[in-house]
Amino acid sequence: MTPPASSSSPAAYIGDTLIRVESASRTYVTGEVEIPALSEVSLTVSQGEFTAVAGPSGSGKSTLLNLISGLDTPTAGAIYIAGRRVSDMTGTELSDFRRDHMGFIFQSYNLIPVLSVTENVEYIMLLQGVPAAERRSRVEEALELVALAGISSRRPDQLSGGQQQRVAIARAMVSQPNLILADEPTANLDSATGSALVDMMRQINSERGVTFLFSTHDIMIMERARRLVTLRDGRIDNDEVRNE
Amino acid sequence: MYLVRLAWRNLLRNLRRTLLAGLAVGIGLAGLLFTDALFVGLQENMIRTATETFLGQGQIHRQGFRSHLEVELALSDGAELMARLDTDNRVRAAAPRTQFFAMISSPANVAATSVFGIDPDREHEVSLIHEAVEQGDASLPSGGVLIGHELAELLEVELGDRLIVTATTTGAGELTQEMVRVSGIFRFGARSLDDGVAFVPLEFSRKLLELSSSDLHEIAIQFRDLGIAGDRSHPFWRQYSGGDREVLGWRDLLPELDAMLELSQFSMFVVLLILFGVVALSVINTLFMSLHERTFEFGVLRAVGTRPRQLFLLIVLEAACLSLISIAIGSLFGLTSTALVAHTGIDYSGIDMAGVTITRLVHPVITVDQYVMFPAWVLGFALVASIYPATYAARMEPAQAMRRSL
Repeated sequence: MTPPASSSSPAAYIGDTLIRVESASRTYVTGEVEIPALSEVSLTVSQGEFTAVAGPSGSGKSTLLNLISGLDTPTAGAIYIAGRRVSDMTGTELSDFRRDHMGFIFQSYNLIPVLSVTENVEYIMLLQGVPAAERRSRVEEALELVALAGISSRRPDQLSGGQQQRVAIARAMVSQPNLILADEPTANLDSATGSALVDMMRQINSERGVTFLFSTHDIMIMERARRLVTLRDGRIDNDEVRNE
Repeated sequence: MYLVRLAWRNLLRNLRRTLLAGLAVGIGLAGLLFTDALFVGLQENMIRTATETFLGQGQIHRQGFRSHLEVELALSDGAELMARLDTDNRVRAAAPRTQFFAMISSPANVAATSVFGIDPDREHEVSLIHEAVEQGDASLPSGGVLIGHELAELLEVELGDRLIVTATTTGAGELTQEMVRVSGIFRFGARSLDDGVAFVPLEFSRKLLELSSSDLHEIAIQFRDLGIAGDRSHPFWRQYSGGDREVLGWRDLLPELDAMLELSQFSMFVVLLILFGVVALSVINTLFMSLHERTFEFGVLRAVGTRPRQLFLLIVLEAACLSLISIAIGSLFGLTSTALVAHTGIDYSGIDMAGVTITRLVHPVITVDQYVMFPAWVLGFALVASIYPATYAARMEPAQAMRRSL
């Protein structure tokens, strides 16, 4: 699952199937009430895609991302990531799989408040047991990538929303994942900051071939996504691949 | 190491809550440290009062003497035993005694009395007879007798008055009588001594009872280390037992005091359990409050690849850090308060417990054990208590924890 080397053309690194969702359903049970969040959704995402999953609130975007990341388990159907069935993995295997192959960007940044920028970014590498020297160089590289090199010792509460989200991107990037799952990453940002971040993520996608899968309401992300999957009432309403 | 750093910083995140929890556990620990120090001080005080007054920390008799008090049951190798004890480094002092029942009569009255034949010089090192004598002196000249102030009142005698001692000799069991003169009147403050005991010179008693010059009924011992006296498994007891000898420490000589101290230890154990219950609840409460505040954060940590067992370890480490803060607070408070009271002492004089009347100030005793064992227990209980919230955190479903987001 090593990402391909950087390339100038997006088409050049869209390759093998990375995510395969087969008739996945997820129903939540509250008391005696069953609430279907996702119904028989099938979807394939290839390595290197820059895909947005859009839809109104309650359409199942978050549920779909939860299932793909293994944070939740489908009631029916199956999810495969790089050929491995997610539901076959144990809790520890899933943790290791997410740690080594996935990056996460959340709506409210969700940095660890007691750690500095550097410590937040290097946290996953600490879990991976990466040696200190390599950690330092990769943190520096990741912070340069998101243009935050000068504020590495600050704590999250000393950063603006945009800066925090850039740290979150650096944290997601630093473990060199194949797939970054981003949940409404621009929802709490002003449009200029949000636009700059989406450009940054597109650049990472283009240069490093990292697959991005967004859940979003944001028109700006929808417009810039190379593929837009629209969900409605837990089902895929539309799946559109854009030509640039 | 990064988990330790994270745990420590998580605790400092809500400093007020951490300090309050640390204070709750710390004050409990300080209370325990003080109570234990007071208990040790009281115990030492009672044992010393009981053993230094007259009894001795240990005694040697011939088998059966203590239960029958028959004058024939004497230690025939008394002189050899005394010589052996005199060269034993563990023994601070030893005093030879005879003991018998006698009728002591004065012109006014008569009293059944327990009479001890003693060597005043040696007794000075073992018992407090010399301090208790309030009239006359404790030197006990030949033909002299020391009696308690209550016995003196009963017999209506004063210093220098004559008394007749009537006892039974060994062997034929003939009655024998001797005249003695009151050379001292003592007041121990313990009724059993003040109204029922008399002391005569050792040689006088041997002649009266027709014992040989090396015969003894009892050897009272004071140790250099009080711990030997209370330790039934100490080799000392085996080394001096054997043959027809019986060697006993204060626990066997004063079973009621021993039982009372055992009961006190049980009370201490109950206090300990209550404190550790408080520790466990405080730790669980603090960790759960912290967990509920950070549910989403735990979801994020799991999402980015933190293993369940790493989250478990993080919570256990937070409990360990919290208990270390508590231990620091508790040890500081405990040491300060105990040291202050140990300096001034507490006056329980006059209080009678298990037949022992406290006569001196009670000083709490600080031991290294207290500051190793109790903090270790607090840490241990905190770690055990943290298993519940740690398991809760480790089993947290990331998706549920993050329901607000992904």
